[in-house]
Amino acid sequence: MKKCRRYRQDWLAFLRGELDPARQQVMSEHLKNCSRCQQELEDLRKLIGQTDDLKNELKETMAGLDWDRFQLTVTERAFGQKAGREQVRPSTGLKWHRWQPAVAGLVAGLLLGAFFTLLWLRPGHLYQSPAAKETAVNLPAGFVQRVDLALAQRETIDYLDRSQYLLLELVQAKSVSQASTFLTQDKVQELLTEKKYLNNQLNEVKLAKAKMLCDQIELLFLELIQLSPQMSEAELKGLQDLITSRQLLLKINLVKRELRPSEV
Amino acid sequence: MEQRNAGSCQSSPEFLVSRIKEGDKEAFMKLVGLYQQKVFVLAYSMVREREDALDLVQETFLRLYEKINSYRTGENFSAWLMKIARNICLDFIRRQKARKKESLDQLGSERLDLADQSEDPARFNPGEIISQAVALLPAKQQAVFILHHYRELKYEEIAAELNISTGTVKSLHYKAVRKLRKLLARPLGGEL
Repeated sequence: MKKCRRYRQDWLAFLRGELDPARQQVMSEHLKNCSRCQQELEDLRKLIGQTDDLKNELKETMAGLDWDRFQLTVTERAFGQKAGREQVRPSTGLKWHRWQPAVAGLVAGLLLGAFFTLLWLRPGHLYQSPAAKETAVNLPAGFVQRVDLALAQRETIDYLDRSQYLLLELVQAKSVSQASTFLTQDKVQELLTEKKYLNNQLNEVKLAKAKMLCDQIELLFLELIQLSPQMSEAELKGLQDLITSRQLLLKINLVKRELRPSEV
Repeated sequence: MEQRNAGSCQSSPEFLVSRIKEGDKEAFMKLVGLYQQKVFVLAYSMVREREDALDLVQETFLRLYEKINSYRTGENFSAWLMKIARNICLDFIRRQKARKKESLDQLGSERLDLADQSEDPARFNPGEIISQAVALLPAKQQAVFILHHYRELKYEEIAAELNISTGTVKSLHYKAVRKLRKLLARPLGGEL
């Protein structure tokens, strides 16, 4: 069986007598004692006989053909087909192929422009000026948030300090004239403006309690600024009662204490 | 049987293809002249009908012209062209079988295939059966078998044409013969 494998690719050459005499002899010897290879050789002989018939038929068929004419016909058909296809294709009138380079350039320019704009607008864009490169610092995650919070706390404390001072003066004022000496419209307006900027910071860092208190103070200042030019004694008394009843001064102290970083 | 050789550089298939890509009609005609008989041998050995084989050769060259831009320089042109031809022939055989089946179905007859032909003495034609069996061979085995038996090329010449080693050619040929023996065992019965 293993021996047979050595011969099987050569049976055709054996049949045609194309092998060297030594090999032909070895295969003949093997063939005498191997029925399997005898069968294979016989099958191959029949197959070759059939294919030889086809080969002869092919030769005759090919000899009767006019190849030069065929060559010409095929060429004409191929190029005729091409011409036909080009004729059938509707004309755009704009001669697209002429505009192709210009359109390609325009598209490439737009794409490049969009790409660089995108890079420039990105928060950490790729291009940085040398100065920017020098100052660029890699900050650890969460650091920026902690700085924002600390700034918001500091500014809120400052706002509450100044508000507390004004509210205290207001509570302690014995008359409208005494109150109006230090409760100028400018001071109140300044605090209202400061509160407007503080709103964003308070929203971002989510200091809910501080924001609620600041909002109450803001409402009171708004009322005060409306009343202050011609405030009556009764209105002053009403404001003083409001500050006392709502314990605004106490609340300011408590919130300030919460906002102050631990000194321990 | 052999076509005139593409000896000079200007007759090499690669050069002709590059010219055809630029719309050179004469180059296309030269290429057809170089390969038309080779394609015919393949087509005829698969369909065994002169007119059908000629139609298939023509279709192969029309397809070649359509796909000429997909040919990559350095690729074995002959193998590329033969692949196109083989696919066209196989499509044709499939269509023909489907048509035969349809018409036989209409007559209430049984399906015709390789095996059935041997059972119908009136239709028994060993040559046709061998053509059909050759058509069923895998592409490389088929190419080697056709080149060796119908175009009478030696193993070394086939190796050069298909760009493979002589050993591979021998092995492919052996596999082709073994497969044909299997395919033809029933249809040809005592004949093989």
